[in-house]
Amino acid sequence: MGIETLIAGLPGTAAQGIIYGIMALGIFITFKLLNFADLSVDGSFATGGAVAAMVIISGHSWILALVLAFIAGALAGLITGVLHTLLGIPDILSGILTQLALYSINLRITGNQPNTPISVDKYNLAVSLRYKTDALITVLVIAVIIISIMYWFFGTEMGSAIRATGTNPAMTKAQGINVNLMKALGLVLSNAFVAFAGALSAQFNGNADVNMGRGAIVIGLAAIIIGEVFCNALFKKKRNFILTLTFVVFGGILYYLFIAIVLWLKMPANDMKLFTAIIVAIFLAVPYLKNKHNSSFRKAAKRGGKENA
Amino acid sequence: MKKLLSVIMASALALSLVACGTDAAAKKEASNDSEPAVEETATTDDSKTYNVGVIQLVQHPALDAATEGFQAALVDKLGSSVNITVENASGDNSTCATIANSFVSDNVDLIMANATPALQASGTATSTIPIVATSITDYATALGISVDDWSGATGVNVTGTSDLAPLDGQAEMLKELFPDAKEVGIIYCSGEDNSKFQAGKIKGYLEDYGYTVSEYTFSDSSDVATVVQSACGSSDVLYVPTDNVAASCAETINNVAVTAKVPIVAGEEGICKGCGIATLSISYYDIGYAAGLMAYEILANGADPATMDIQYAPEFTKEYNPTIAEQLGITLPDDYVAIEME
Repeated sequence: MGIETLIAGLPGTAAQGIIYGIMALGIFITFKLLNFADLSVDGSFATGGAVAAMVIISGHSWILALVLAFIAGALAGLITGVLHTLLGIPDILSGILTQLALYSINLRITGNQPNTPISVDKYNLAVSLRYKTDALITVLVIAVIIISIMYWFFGTEMGSAIRATGTNPAMTKAQGINVNLMKALGLVLSNAFVAFAGALSAQFNGNADVNMGRGAIVIGLAAIIIGEVFCNALFKKKRNFILTLTFVVFGGILYYLFIAIVLWLKMPANDMKLFTAIIVAIFLAVPYLKNKHNSSFRKAAKRGGKENA
Repeated sequence: MKKLLSVIMASALALSLVACGTDAAAKKEASNDSEPAVEETATTDDSKTYNVGVIQLVQHPALDAATEGFQAALVDKLGSSVNITVENASGDNSTCATIANSFVSDNVDLIMANATPALQASGTATSTIPIVATSITDYATALGISVDDWSGATGVNVTGTSDLAPLDGQAEMLKELFPDAKEVGIIYCSGEDNSKFQAGKIKGYLEDYGYTVSEYTFSDSSDVATVVQSACGSSDVLYVPTDNVAASCAETINNVAVTAKVPIVAGEEGICKGCGIATLSISYYDIGYAAGLMAYEILANGADPATMDIQYAPEFTKEYNPTIAEQLGITLPDDYVAIEME
């Protein structure tokens, strides 16, 4: 397979990347804004797929499927929120508990079918791998809309309160903001977007599988981190919120481009996850090492540390 | 900025070199294994080289054997005029779509899909490139075709072979070996469509024989032991269908069941080797080979996948596990063949 194959496949790869980029936007709310490691997304991604599949095969439109998937994801986020805020379970654990519960709930949603086919020949779908270019345009428009909504929302008083909660909970509390409510709200929003992306992904792949969310959190974090590194490299000081969000989606595209290149290079499939881990680790390590290298303390020590000591 | 980019580029380059290195080695091995030393083959068209892409869902002895059989059939028929690319999704649904996308972009002549999600991704990716699948238990379920419309062929660009175990034969075998048993427990993974389908089918057959049947499901390898323990507590015999998780945890299942002195009838040879007393098994290599022959018909003779009937495994063998039979003190009839244990 020559390079032209890779290029011909780009619309499909990019569409897949943007769908996971939308999921990463959801993870961004908890991971970056709230400082909350939420592992329930591995479950809520599949919840979105399951709800969308059931709505579509029962003869309703994909618009309703996406709306209901969004609501189902919000409810899943609410479970994590309640476990964490009302019952005082630590963040990681409350996410894991929700993820566990969702496995059974997702099976119930699909009538205990682990795998529900959604054929593009039989139903009208929002996106499909069959029509790559259309899918790419559709998800691009959806991503722009979601980024705009997020940009607007996190500029409002309530959105700012959520951001403040992540930055400094004690100070936020002192301002009279209900920190627990803000955390729960962030989780609800985050999982709603993740489930929404799951609904898109199920239609894109042509099936909703109970295992489809496995590893979603890793892909999401990878997209966020890769996007951030690129954003920093290109815009340094000029970074703002809208750029950050855009680059999260861009990170999703890059992640899937990596996967496509790895496959194209005929790397052994067993090493794929190792390769992903190495890529993410590099992206995490490079800015840190660079900062350390440019640290003013170190420079000062080099310049005159000995004489002053 | 420059430094950062150069670091990233360098690491990517290093990784790609590693990738190419392993690939070259793999290619060499593959060519030594499968390329027959025949220059002239009985092809209809010597000038054409066919490109075939294989999507396999996950590394697993049964699926690997099916892929091997498929390759062997095409190489036997087409020799050097076929170029087969095997890609493996390591169990990821979304990677199946990525691979399907790359094959369609490459405009391959035929796609072989090994396991259900691989078939669904390929079927979504293209309605024109012929798809031959294998290791699918029930095509109607996998493709969402209603049972009333099922005619034996799919009616779309998909055909292939099924790994449906002879469930009626297996139920009969259980009856033959354990006529006095009352309670039968079926254990499988709740995340696998194929297992659910088989469990439902064999439950019907067993209930017709007068057994009381209960289903016990686990969600992944972490709760296999607990589930098998509870199944052993209330069953005289256990049945395990062709379940991927059960296949990977056969040793765990065996440790629980042998201790509880509960015999297991398995859906296929691999699982029987690990934890079963007996099985009526299909050969995954054979269904892969049969799929390869179907692919040849499509490529060389222009057969239409929409009208080709789904094929089922041609023959089954009654096999038993001598180690477990000895441990449980059960003697099997003479027509059972002992599985070769390492």
